[in-house]
Amino acid sequence: MIKVLFFGPIAAATGERDVSVAHVPGLTLGSLKEVLAAQYPEAMRLATMMAVNGEHVRDLSLPLADNSEVAFMARFSGG
Amino acid sequence: MKAAVSIQQEDFSQDEEIAALKGSSKRIGGIATFLGCARDFSEGREVTEISFDAYGSMALSELKKLRSEAIEKFGLLDARIVHRIGTVKSGENIVFITAGAEHRAAALEACRWLIDELKQRVPIWKKEITPQGDSWVTPHP
Repeated sequence: MIKVLFFGPIAAATGERDVSVAHVPGLTLGSLKEVLAAQYPEAMRLATMMAVNGEHVRDLSLPLADNSEVAFMARFSGG
Repeated sequence: MKAAVSIQQEDFSQDEEIAALKGSSKRIGGIATFLGCARDFSEGREVTEISFDAYGSMALSELKKLRSEAIEKFGLLDARIVHRIGTVKSGENIVFITAGAEHRAAALEACRWLIDELKQRVPIWKKEITPQGDSWVTPHP
């Protein structure tokens, strides 16, 4: 399973803090985003930043290993 | 002793942060600080409080990386960062950055760099609570 985390405006848009998505062979960050966009279109429109296992990632073609933790994040507004 | 980088709900003491920085090296000749606080007015609306959400583990990790990078990049003797999460009322403190170097230029430049990078790289989000309703903040340049 892939654990997907939502925070701030994206958590507000999805109504969830996290969801689990089944891992399938060949799953990439981009294909995961497409799966989520079907369920949470507004939230995924806000998702301009991504992290895998707590590290910034920009490459949507990145393959995801099973048990990865993925965050789709809106632009940060701390400070 | 309190860690050099922290994310916490409670307010922080600027004096304690500066004392901790000064205590790290007697070679420090200049200390620069940045204090971010909660404004009571934004985008034409009164703001009563701000609610912060964070990807806690990643935010802490990114803050630690920022501190290390700043020390390396500007030749600092030490740097400290504390950021609050949860609810912060207008007028209260949000973030405090201290940078210590042998001379003022490096400390001042590092402080500016740290807050600019923090806003770009650290996964924290703020929601303004106003009498007209709540809204997530769109970042300023």
